Amino acid sequence: MTTTDIVVIGGGILGASTAYQLARAGHRVTVLERGAPNREGSGTTAGNLHIQGIHTRRPGQAVAADNLRFLPLQRTASTLWSQLPDELDADLELTRNGGFMVAETPEQVQELHQKFDLETQLGLTCEIVSGDEARRRMPALSETVIAAEWCAEDGYANPLLVTPAYLGAARRYGAQVEAFSPVTGIEHDGGAYVVRSGHREWSAGVVIDTAGPWIADVAALAGIRLDMSPVAIQMHITTRMPLGTLTCLVQHIGAGMSVKQVGAGNILIGGGWPAEAFRAHGRSRVATDSISGNLHQAAAVLPLLRDLRLLRTWAGPLAATPDEMPVIGEVPSSPGFFVAGGTYAFTLAPLWGLVLRDLVEGNSPLEPVADLGVDRLVLDAVAHQR
Amino acid sequence: MAASEDTVAPSRLDFDAVVVGGGPSGLVAARELATAGARVALIEENSELGGQYYKRRRGQVLAQYGDYRPDGTSLIAQVRHAGVEVFTNRLVWGTSTDRSLLTTSTTSPDAVRFSARAIVVAAGATEHVVPFPGWQLPGVMTPGHAMHLATTDAVRVGNRVLLAGSGPFLLPVACALLASGTEVAAVVEAGRPLRPSLRAAGSLRHPGMLADLARYLTILAKHRVPIIQGARVHEALAQGNGHLGAVAITHGQVTRTFEVDTLATAFGFRPATELLQLLEVDCTVDATLGVPLPVTDAHGATSVPGVYAVGESRGIAGNKAARVRGWLAAAAIRDRLGLPTPSAQQMRAHLRRSARLDAFATLSSELYAHDRRALLQMPDHTMVCRCESVTAGEIRAAARLGWNDRNSVKGATRAGMGLCQGRECAATVSGLVSACTGEPVGCQPARMPVKPIPVSAAMALEEEIA
Ligand SMILES: Cc1cc2nc3c(=O)[nH]c(=O)nc-3n(C[C@H](O)[C@H](O)[C@H](O)COP(=O)(O)OP(=O)(O)OC[C@H]3O[C@@H](n4cnc5c(N)ncnc54)[C@H](O)[C@@H]3O)c2cc1C
Repeated sequence: MTTTDIVVIGGGILGASTAYQLARAGHRVTVLERGAPNREGSGTTAGNLHIQGIHTRRPGQAVAADNLRFLPLQRTASTLWSQLPDELDADLELTRNGGFMVAETPEQVQELHQKFDLETQLGLTCEIVSGDEARRRMPALSETVIAAEWCAEDGYANPLLVTPAYLGAARRYGAQVEAFSPVTGIEHDGGAYVVRSGHREWSAGVVIDTAGPWIADVAALAGIRLDMSPVAIQMHITTRMPLGTLTCLVQHIGAGMSVKQVGAGNILIGGGWPAEAFRAHGRSRVATDSISGNLHQAAAVLPLLRDLRLLRTWAGPLAATPDEMPVIGEVPSSPGFFVAGGTYAFTLAPLWGLVLRDLVEGNSPLEPVADLGVDRLVLDAVAHQR
Repeated sequence: MAASEDTVAPSRLDFDAVVVGGGPSGLVAARELATAGARVALIEENSELGGQYYKRRRGQVLAQYGDYRPDGTSLIAQVRHAGVEVFTNRLVWGTSTDRSLLTTSTTSPDAVRFSARAIVVAAGATEHVVPFPGWQLPGVMTPGHAMHLATTDAVRVGNRVLLAGSGPFLLPVACALLASGTEVAAVVEAGRPLRPSLRAAGSLRHPGMLADLARYLTILAKHRVPIIQGARVHEALAQGNGHLGAVAITHGQVTRTFEVDTLATAFGFRPATELLQLLEVDCTVDATLGVPLPVTDAHGATSVPGVYAVGESRGIAGNKAARVRGWLAAAAIRDRLGLPTPSAQQMRAHLRRSARLDAFATLSSELYAHDRRALLQMPDHTMVCRCESVTAGEIRAAARLGWNDRNSVKGATRAGMGLCQGRECAATVSGLVSACTGEPVGCQPARMPVKPIPVSAAMALEEEIA
């Protein structure tokens, strides 16, 4: 049995950023990752840094996310992202070229204005421009765009680089990264948690569950039943185009769509379109209808996409909460057992790492997160109260 | 004739059987099925049927040099005569969960889904190229390409050519080059197939193959082309103009240099299994090649009911085996579809012949066995993934990080993420990772689209629904 201070379960961006913050603060940290790190949500993500208010519904999403609640989190995350390449001493292909959220109908324009008002109240600098002005700035936009909201802080970081950079930095601060170590059991022996992977064991006062789509499975090992369900969504990428083909991120206020050109020149097209059923092992399959649906949506706003070549598609898994809001905090019934996951975890990862560090150390976090705590998702506790 | 086959109006087509790939195995499978009364679609990405082996001559070349491999011409004629619906210039780029095949025309983007009670994958093979410093120079090509230039296109490949790599294919290519008037400096073979051994004695059971070999060796001897065994290319060197000028080979402890303007090199073939992977048939990993191989029965039936692998897609065994495999799959499918089946006697004869050809393929790969690990010891600066410019050193560094496996090395380096989807480098990346981590060789999984397609072709899938 290895004794350590903290065991982080899951080597995605949340586990990596949390391990980094805790190791940097002087704690002994072990990251246990089922397979190779960064292969699941964090390696398959679109990698957008969503700083302006989010589009509230993925295609097929039952409940709309509360985008107002996200805004202060996004704003703090935005600042943290700006410092990240220096902090991790790594090239993350961080680009902050800004982003448009476009509207094609009068109702959507109205929605843009409502969003804009909220953002302004919260101190985020955004701008609403006419369709013509949007096209002047980005000629690739179609005639159907009648207005767009511009946020200069929107951007992108290369997901293939970020999590490995976090893990590398965590390792420099002494964290142990144990890949190919699926957690198979978690017990509490009064004083500490004993975390098992096959015949190996770690003893730690604190366990952090950042297992992404498997977050509920890992919590269940500790006897905690969480109301979270994994889903798979899909991405599409074109062959390389000359840089400057698209100058910024483009999203849609009324539909699932995010399009941008990445550093290598490929154009990445997503928007949360559903893939086939989530698979716990191996990759979920891309859904044919979502390929055409997402591409139609994107090409309506960016007609030049029609003339490009589709290079590859893939599905990625995501942990969804019933209210579509993130979850972060200590499980009330299991002191020392922390959970973090849910939507927009890529954008929020630098923040969630710091917040978890603060919560573990018993300090008040950089951003208040009590309302995003685990209680609302603990199934057994809900039952007990009744 | 091909023009009308390119464009298909209906966006969903249903057949008794769909055959993907118009090479020897696909042609035979399609003919046998159609002759028995099945409605058969044969889909081929190229503009002509024939595949690699029966590649067609066209236009002036055909007029001047005559037909190339006339048995291919007659096989294609039989296929058409049997009533097979032929779709040339059509790429199968993906599959749906209902097991329909997603296709587009390669000349004008569209979307046509093919569904069938039986799917026959006859997608052929790719040449197995293992990178070495200088392999990207102009003047370096694969033996298959050299063969194509010398035979189908009847053009001179170069003034002086070195053939290198491994496998029985190098010899007929050398002969074809000689016949086209090109000088062949040497055949550099990594294995030692031509030394007396117990294994070699096994080939006595395959007299036809031995006769071929003897013929090739006689031609090479007549032209004084040396066959250097147990040797491999270690670097290709450029001339002042950037074109290939010389090739250095390692032969035991000795290095030799050949001044040549062309190098044709590959280590045999790798089965094309992308479509089989997308259809989710059970595969094993071919540890020497680092590619998935479908698990099949003697008829090519895979683990997915109604999906068959034939030809080189089922495992490398050559053109003769491909034809027999096509026949055997068709026989099983005819049974499945309730159509007349061949006689028990014919069936036994084909099964026996197929087993014999498979045994010969195994024997041949044993005869040509060579140290594949040595091939993977190319210097760190060697470019491995040409599409994304990733070197052997970068792949090794990612593999040695301690937390990467085969697939995360792809993510960490971008090797295999480019235009060719890893068709060229994936097996080498697998080998390099395995050499660094000591883990068994893994594979890069296939993704849709199998080859890049126009965005508008993918969009057309929906116009069809609307
Ligand atoms: C296609 C797609 C596009 C997206 N686009 C965006 C975007 O543009 N912007 C944005 O902000 N967010 C986006 N998201 C969401 C965001 O990327 C993810 O929410 C985030 O990456 C999740 O990170 P994570 O660390 O929580 O989980 P993951 O990255 O999924 O990591 C969880 C890890 O836990 C491991 N694990 C599971 N079980 C065990 C076990 N028993 N023992 C040990 N380890 C285990 C897994 O192997 C995995 O590596 C997108 C997600 C997807 C799928």
